[in-house]
Amino acid sequence: MARSESRSITQKKKRYSYYDYSLLFLTLFLVCFGLVMIYSTSSFNAQRMFGDSTHFVKQQGLAVVLGIAAMLVISKIDYRIFLKKVPILKIRFVTLIYIGAVSLQIAVLIFGREVKGAKRWIDLGFISFQPSDLSKIATILFVAYVVNLAPRRLDKITGFFRIAVYMAPLLGLIAKENLSTAIVIAGILVSICFVASRKKLYFIIVGILCVAVGSLYVFGVGYRSERVDVWRNVETHPKGYQILQGLFAIASGGIFGTGLGQSMQKLGFIPEAHNDMIFTIICEELGLFGAIAVILLFVLLLWRLFIIAINAPDLFGGLIAVGIMAHIAIQVILNIAVVSNSIPSTGIPLPFISYGGTSVSVLLAEIGVALSVSNQIRTER
Amino acid sequence: MATNRTYNRRNIFTVFSIVLLISLVLVGRLTYIMVYRADYYGVRAQQLHERERPIKAERGIIYDRNGIEIASNKPVCTISVIHSQIKEPETVIKLLSETLGISEDKVRKRVEKVSSIERIKANVDKETADIIRNYDLDGVMVDEDYKRYYPYGSLASKVIGFTGSDNQGIIGLEVEYDKYLQGIDGTILTLTTAQGLEIENAAEDRVEPMEGNSLTLSLDVNIQQYCEQAAKKVMEEKQAKSVKMILMNPQNGEIYAMVNYPEFDLNSPYTLLNQDESQATTLTDKEKNNLLNEMWRNACISDTYEPGSTFKTVTAAAALEEGVVKLTDNFYCPGYKIVEDRKIRCHKVGGHGAETFIDGIKNSCNPVFIEIGARVGATNMYKHFKKLGLFSRTSIDVPGEANSIMHKVDDIGAVELATISFGQSFQITPLQLLRAASAIVNGGNLITPHFGVSITNPDTGNVQKLKYDVSDGAVSKTTSDTMKSLLEAVVSDGSGKRAYLPGFRIGGKTATSEKLPRGTGKYISSFIGFAPADNPQVIAIVLIDEPVGIYYGGTIAAPVISGVFDNVLPYLGVEENYSEQEIEEYGIGSFTVPDFLGKSKDEANQLIKVHDFGEIYYIGEGDTVAEQFPLSGETVDKNSDLILYLD
Repeated sequence: MARSESRSITQKKKRYSYYDYSLLFLTLFLVCFGLVMIYSTSSFNAQRMFGDSTHFVKQQGLAVVLGIAAMLVISKIDYRIFLKKVPILKIRFVTLIYIGAVSLQIAVLIFGREVKGAKRWIDLGFISFQPSDLSKIATILFVAYVVNLAPRRLDKITGFFRIAVYMAPLLGLIAKENLSTAIVIAGILVSICFVASRKKLYFIIVGILCVAVGSLYVFGVGYRSERVDVWRNVETHPKGYQILQGLFAIASGGIFGTGLGQSMQKLGFIPEAHNDMIFTIICEELGLFGAIAVILLFVLLLWRLFIIAINAPDLFGGLIAVGIMAHIAIQVILNIAVVSNSIPSTGIPLPFISYGGTSVSVLLAEIGVALSVSNQIRTER
Repeated sequence: MATNRTYNRRNIFTVFSIVLLISLVLVGRLTYIMVYRADYYGVRAQQLHERERPIKAERGIIYDRNGIEIASNKPVCTISVIHSQIKEPETVIKLLSETLGISEDKVRKRVEKVSSIERIKANVDKETADIIRNYDLDGVMVDEDYKRYYPYGSLASKVIGFTGSDNQGIIGLEVEYDKYLQGIDGTILTLTTAQGLEIENAAEDRVEPMEGNSLTLSLDVNIQQYCEQAAKKVMEEKQAKSVKMILMNPQNGEIYAMVNYPEFDLNSPYTLLNQDESQATTLTDKEKNNLLNEMWRNACISDTYEPGSTFKTVTAAAALEEGVVKLTDNFYCPGYKIVEDRKIRCHKVGGHGAETFIDGIKNSCNPVFIEIGARVGATNMYKHFKKLGLFSRTSIDVPGEANSIMHKVDDIGAVELATISFGQSFQITPLQLLRAASAIVNGGNLITPHFGVSITNPDTGNVQKLKYDVSDGAVSKTTSDTMKSLLEAVVSDGSGKRAYLPGFRIGGKTATSEKLPRGTGKYISSFIGFAPADNPQVIAIVLIDEPVGIYYGGTIAAPVISGVFDNVLPYLGVEENYSEQEIEEYGIGSFTVPDFLGKSKDEANQLIKVHDFGEIYYIGEGDTVAEQFPLSGETVDKNSDLILYLD
């Protein structure tokens, strides 16, 4: 086919290669902005708890440096390496990554460090990380790989189920300890399958069904669920404290904000303001304009991923880009929706900005993969 | 490997569009919160960040009649803890309980209570507060504050009263004038972190406190001090339970002094008097409370007693008003009087024999007063009691005043009337008697005894004079004049002669009341006196409760008043005016001191003999006068002492 011929040409002639510097720049900008905001939000608490106002920003900075290094290295490697077989084990890299992710999720259930009643951390002494973050990138690669094997099967709902069955072990393991990550992974899975599928009807039907069941749950029997109860009575429910404080912060910002570093709510009113709630402090300090600017940055980033996805040299590359786009989009949307009390609360960090070493380095690695895909795009010059 | 087909691209575009759409919805949601809900949530957030800290208003100062501060404020500190900031609770509990002298349990309860701020102790003096501040404990706050301070300590303690930790009056004038003295607390609005730490450099809203108004009293510190000393002296001499004394201006009701000895220390009002350590530990809270209330009691106005013979002034005034007796009426006292089936004794067992009404008063003769009381009759007697304010409280501006306990007019038989006539079988407060006596000697004006004279706003300087009711016609002018001369006679030549003071015209009446129940040998000796007798400027009453030994009012109470008057009258500007007889009798007058210098001892002795010196003191062993005091040429009173230095 003509397409595969031209692809082989680009592979041979490097001068036609493309590299998405816009994506690189946007990523670096977001990460740096994230560091500034982490310093702003965490310095008070860091000073209070550790006597060092830069405690959190230093930790995050280290993860960012590692992540950027990983991103740059990965971006220069052809993403098709994932499809290659590992020399001794005789299985593909992508399968190995998937098996590794599942093993880590099992390991975390056994050896994991318990923080706030959930086992999410693996502690290796010199470094500790959340395997669920690694599972996201494993999901993107593995789903893209499985779909790529036989894209036509997805035209029927059975094909979608087949892939869901592949993913079930990982999804089940994660959902046990970390529902919000499971939602993100499920979202990535659905997005990739949706893109690969020619028939939309069952997606629409299932989507409508999900919305219907969801609404029924929330407005019908949902009062039994504390999460929904908090969401609907955020001002009176005792567990709505954090979200209510977030709303106070957002509302205090007004149109232009109180100015960088001037947040009141970060002074202990919002617990761990540098984590999931960081967007509320962005709103408070930078106002509606700042918030929209941040959202625009994300939209631009997603736009670049979209461009890479549609121009990807093959379906595998395109699906990877879609998975990354879906991952970031879902997290941004869920995070902002939660902190603005638009949906019931669930703990999802804001990509690149929220504090969390594993999260930011994995995201940077993902961007590295996206850049690697972009690097294989044939330019028609 | 599968290729990236067109429908894939379309699908990707759909996904991206959905993301874009949701982003727009979220921007809308944020706009709604940040623009349309900003006021609602913003105000609530502001309330959350702001902390209101009160600034205590300085309490108004109480001045005596000469502008001397008798109740003011001094800086003290309040120790409180902020739960969320405490890092070492055990250390905090230990150090605070040690330094402040509070039990560990009490401190622990407050330290461990989850609240934004919890007060451990108020009114901690500055030195103790500085010790705590130097410990530099996290979560322990030391706030400066004012505490009521009484420079004269126990002076007029039961009248002035004291304040509690919240700056509110507890007893006395501090309660009565609380609303004027209190002032209005100010506030500081500051921004704080969730832990309650104030943020530096944050804009502060400050509402300044309004200092309380100051109060000027009719009380005179010097007179009060002198009276307290006199009360103390007689109490110790007579081993009495207590001594009460009131000095008042009978013309307008201004009280110069009100003594309830023993007084207590206003700067530590919760310390019981005369209490030993073992007692302190065995007392229950309730018992201690009762003892404290007993100690704080202003007996001059809160306790009633049977006035006894001092009340004969009222009986006499009533009889004169009714015109049922003339000064020259003749009576006969055999030492008792039979009323119905009862034989009521006079205090003089042998009887006073034949006597006029004037003699009857001078002798304080019971049969005479039984007789004139019967002439007046119960109804008319009560009419005059009412005019003299004996059925109502005096409305003095000190809380806790008691009222008289009287027979119902219908229940009064001849015996009751007889006993009422000489001041028994009913009870009144010392102040009620003093007010009635004032009306009798001031021409018939029933005044309102009071301390408060004026209230001054410290900011504007506005002075508000306090007004008190005066009703005239309690007795007629004629009766008043007659009574004055009768009572002067009591002092100059009767049972009250120990109150006599050369140079001053003093009127008065003694009393010795046996306390109920009778026969226990407990008495109240009292004397009521006023001066000058023709135009009274000061009226005084003294009550000696349960004196040991001689208990006659004329013997022990009258000299107390003469001693007080001797000092107070010149202080109040009432001048001595000696009669010829007095000059002779008491050696009143002055002479010029001669020159003793260089004279020998014998020569000096010759010189001394012709002059009216009192005691002569020789200092030194020599034979010649080297120095003398007073110096030659000075004019001194007769009977002055002379000191000669011999060389």
